[in-house]
Amino acid sequence: MASSTTITQQKKPERSLSPWQIARKKFLRNKLAMASTIFIIIVTVISLLAPFLAPYLSPNPDITKVNIGSMNIQPNGEHILGTDKSGRDVLTRLFYGGRVSLLVGFSATLMVITLGTVVGSIAGFFGGAVDSILMRFTDFVLNFPFLVFVIVLNTVLYGIVDGLWVLIMVIGVLSWGGVARLVRSKVLAEKENEYILAALSIGCSPWKVIRKHLLPNVMSTIIVQGTLIFASMIVVESALSYLGFGVPQTTPSWGNMLSSANEPDVLQGKPWIWMPPALVITLTILSINFIGEGLKDALNPKSLR
Amino acid sequence: MLKYTFRRLLGMIPMLILISIVVFSLAKLMPGDSLSGEIDPLNTNPQYIAEMREKLGYNDPLPVQYFNWVTDFVQGDFGKSTRFKVPVADVIMEKIPNTLFLGVMALLITYILAFIMGMYSGRKPYTIGDNAIAGINYVMLAIPSFVAAVFAIYFFSFHLNWFPFGGSVDILVEDGTFEYWLSRLHHVLLPAIVLGAMSTASYTQFLRNDIIENSRKDFVRTARAKGTPMKKIYNVHILRNSIIPLVTFLGFDFAALIGGAIITETIFTYPGIGQLFLDSVTNKDYPILMALTMLLSFLTLAGNLIADILYGIVDPRIRLD
Repeated sequence: MASSTTITQQKKPERSLSPWQIARKKFLRNKLAMASTIFIIIVTVISLLAPFLAPYLSPNPDITKVNIGSMNIQPNGEHILGTDKSGRDVLTRLFYGGRVSLLVGFSATLMVITLGTVVGSIAGFFGGAVDSILMRFTDFVLNFPFLVFVIVLNTVLYGIVDGLWVLIMVIGVLSWGGVARLVRSKVLAEKENEYILAALSIGCSPWKVIRKHLLPNVMSTIIVQGTLIFASMIVVESALSYLGFGVPQTTPSWGNMLSSANEPDVLQGKPWIWMPPALVITLTILSINFIGEGLKDALNPKSLR
Repeated sequence: MLKYTFRRLLGMIPMLILISIVVFSLAKLMPGDSLSGEIDPLNTNPQYIAEMREKLGYNDPLPVQYFNWVTDFVQGDFGKSTRFKVPVADVIMEKIPNTLFLGVMALLITYILAFIMGMYSGRKPYTIGDNAIAGINYVMLAIPSFVAAVFAIYFFSFHLNWFPFGGSVDILVEDGTFEYWLSRLHHVLLPAIVLGAMSTASYTQFLRNDIIENSRKDFVRTARAKGTPMKKIYNVHILRNSIIPLVTFLGFDFAALIGGAIITETIFTYPGIGQLFLDSVTNKDYPILMALTMLLSFLTLAGNLIADILYGIVDPRIRLD
């Protein structure tokens, strides 16, 4: 009796893994990508919990406040990473800076991906005149020298809207072109498949076809692209802040912290002020890129790993 | 080919008109009075200011102002810098050679590095050397150019004293002498390396993957069967095919170089277009700002056009029209 049950259990058809499960397994096996994921999770958690974790909050609760008594202190037991030229604890600012840098990066990415996907999928699916008009517009956006226009737009809008959101909006509005092109090309290839024709023939509305049939199939590309864009958005934020055209100087962000390296004496003699943000930016971007590559590998059914 | 180029050139015109409208509206939206440099700042007499405004055409309706600006612009009259009190064209022309020098050096460095690394990786894929190159490329790709620039100044200029940390030439050397050019090269090298390293990674990986892909194609097998030495197959047969995508990168690099130049020039206090641009934003020097934005947009457009045309020239199989 016992043996017969085992036989029936063996015969039971095993459910094969779904594409997402396969991708997850592949990703979990990728050591570099997993290490990067853990690093990013730690950075995110620290940034989110900055008000509770920041080591130097109690004597100086206002992180933007200048504290003349403790200017340019080298790293020691009290200030683990030292203080900057305004007497603010570097580690505390690093925690708070992460909040801003990650927020800007994430929001801008979300905006870029949303805009790009909407424009790209509509252009790709409907084709014809809609496609031409939308793609002309995309070319137009892509032809702007990005940094030049971000700086000019940011200066124009500065003061009208809250500084942080100006930056997010400006970056978002100017950089969705690449995603739109990518999504369009993917949709163009995907919509030739018969299941799309089948869906249309049974009376699905175009919007439903795009939402339920096309986008899930394009999703893996969008996710990978989104990860890589997230990294580049953090670079853009910190570069602009470094140049003094990004996040307002009063808000600590990694780029703003690094901008103190503009002064030769800080750059030369006080590396503890600018090195931590420089290293954190680099490590974060490196990790995100590794995650992106890992995802690309995991979501690619042709890759063997 | 000629027909295609001509058509693309015509296609640029509406794009330029649209960009000019955007630039003009942005300049008009900029905070601050854009004629603050044109009038005597000590004379606060409202009547005088009103007269000047009338004289400079700031009371005209916007379309008229736009039309006047464009007409002057097309004729090469970019207006007068509000800060330097000289024609904008002179200010820009003074800085262009510096940026051009930096850009060419950066491209040269990119190409040399990418060719050496890409060809090695392509010939010996999945070896230690290839993996090392991939690792270096990854780090180079991830480090933002401004972080790299800051580190480069810190190590190479301050600690090792190999390179000067700013400017484009020593003040003491005489113009036109051999030392003058040597000093300029010395000054441009560090920013050029930083700027050039930025795009090296993508070039290298592209070249590597393309060489690997091409080395599995039939024409390589045929060449080997004929007894062509491997060296020749790689350096002639495969390379010619693999250069195609790289050549199109050149056009797109224009845009990347423009953005990169703004950052690197500012960090290295290198007196070029990028630094001038940021200075003019900070100082609200609108005539320069407008002219530069138009110029940089035009260069980006031209870069894309060159990329497309080069694509057709290098690979005659691609039909453009």
